[in-house]
Amino acid sequence: MTSWPLASARPILVVALGLAGLALSIALAASIGEMTIPLEVIAKTVSNRLFGTTHALNRIQEGVVWDYRLSRAVVAACCGGALAVSGVILQALLRNPLAEPYVLGISAGASTGAVLVMIVGVGGGAVTLSGGAFAGAVAALSLVGLLALGSGGGSDRVLLAGVAGSQLFNAMTSFIVATAANAEQARGVLFWLLGNLGGVRWPDVWLALPVVLVGFVVAMLHARALDAFAFGADAAAAMGVSVTRVRVVLFALTAAMTAAMVGIVGSIGFVGLVIPHAVRFLVGHRHARLLPAALVVGAVFLVLADILSRVLVAQQVLPVGVVTALFGAPAFALILFRARHAR
Amino acid sequence: MTLATRDVRWGVGGLPLVDGVTLAVEPGRTLGLIGPNGSGKSSLLRLMARLRRVSSGVITLEDRDIATLSRRTFARRVAFVEQHATTDAALTVLDVVRLGRTPHRGALSPWNAADAAAVDTALAQVGMADRRDRLWHSLSGGERQRALIARALAQCPSELLLDEPTNHLDIRHQLEILALVQRLPVTSVVALHDLNLAALFCDRLAALHQGRLVCVGTPEEVLTPDVIGHVFGVRASVERSPRDGRLQVHFLLG
Repeated sequence: MTSWPLASARPILVVALGLAGLALSIALAASIGEMTIPLEVIAKTVSNRLFGTTHALNRIQEGVVWDYRLSRAVVAACCGGALAVSGVILQALLRNPLAEPYVLGISAGASTGAVLVMIVGVGGGAVTLSGGAFAGAVAALSLVGLLALGSGGGSDRVLLAGVAGSQLFNAMTSFIVATAANAEQARGVLFWLLGNLGGVRWPDVWLALPVVLVGFVVAMLHARALDAFAFGADAAAAMGVSVTRVRVVLFALTAAMTAAMVGIVGSIGFVGLVIPHAVRFLVGHRHARLLPAALVVGAVFLVLADILSRVLVAQQVLPVGVVTALFGAPAFALILFRARHAR
Repeated sequence: MTLATRDVRWGVGGLPLVDGVTLAVEPGRTLGLIGPNGSGKSSLLRLMARLRRVSSGVITLEDRDIATLSRRTFARRVAFVEQHATTDAALTVLDVVRLGRTPHRGALSPWNAADAAAVDTALAQVGMADRRDRLWHSLSGGERQRALIARALAQCPSELLLDEPTNHLDIRHQLEILALVQRLPVTSVVALHDLNLAALFCDRLAALHQGRLVCVGTPEEVLTPDVIGHVFGVRASVERSPRDGRLQVHFLLG
């Protein structure tokens, strides 16, 4: 029998619960840090900035909350949501539980693009780190796409092409770091590769938020097509799904979402692989439920991971990718262990 | 006229797998495709299910080229049950059968009474109504095949294509599945290995050999020692059962 805790709950309740959890986690992220700021101040700051109220506030606290912590938390939420939704889509399309957003070589390509800007100085200062990472991601994705098409285009071919592309671009990154970087630069690259929300400001929000919202809506429009892939592409086609069109649209969508996020915050691992599995244990396999659940859970997870990355070691910020893996892996093991009777 | 093929050819890498097949399916009847491994049964079914595009020739549904129909329109009319279809997802029988409603639902249209009725009817037709909440992983081979046929029936097709639906099933389940297919109120095309089962359950048979249609007709016309010898390369004698007058194929050794 099925045993998904939330599968039969009212959708409206689950959505409300999820959004409340997301709002709370973002408020906490704005409150917790080297300087702890009361939640009341967070609420007043948001009210002042968004609704034009004139609560009297400490200017420094208001600045920290609005200019640093809130923008950072919102980008973390967008990034977590986008990676988790991309993971759900890729696992369904490729019918492989190991598929994740970086499987198409995006993270490896982004790292090569980033080190080219950071260390070699490509673009002569005119190209930002994010821009370089995005360009690298697109380059790697194109190569993987060509390889996959040239080898026949089946799911396993896409995965193999992704592995080959990732290896190539990772090797190029290592080559550049090993030959051209000094110790300080190498440390910076390592931090960036593990995910870095440090330099995030509001302009990044205005890029990340539309990307994840549009991506989510397009994914939801394909929820039934994704369901139909459960028995493979031929079965989906026999049930009236335009397999080629759906594949092209959704691969492009996940690539765009992932490349945009990697460009902003570097490659944060684990979220796109594991959140989809965790969410499946909560709400079951129907994508109309799975996609929104992944969006919210992925968002909350990364916001909380970011808080931990800032408070875990005093006076130091850990790369958020370290935290996602360090705390996500045992949590996931626990879910797997508890769910061993569910199937 | 329902599905018909006219001089259909298709192959992979220059190797012809279906080589000039012209065949018409009779409405409401069960057509069996027989032939050895690699004779083109599965390929022909996949072409008829529009999963592959013909290299030349044309396949028609009600005299319209199926390549001109949209995928959804086609899937509301013709359903296909694959061989060895399975999933890793933890789906219930009900989830699987619900998938069959995909061609009838828009991206935003909610689940409605017609969908629920079609699913209930399909589950009842295959005798799985009492097992609708069972998980896919817990089903036997026969139950999985029934669930997949129910998924196809939930599409409310008028044509049903089945690729070796009895493969890997024990004899009781083979008989049950084919009896089920035979009594469904749809036109069926079934690829089959077992000649005696084909004789038992099909109204007409088409024998394929190396991608070509050797002959088509009633089981009496097709299952002759000559055809079996030519198509399968084995010696056989064909008799009528003294018990019920049905055809029986006996294979001769040596």
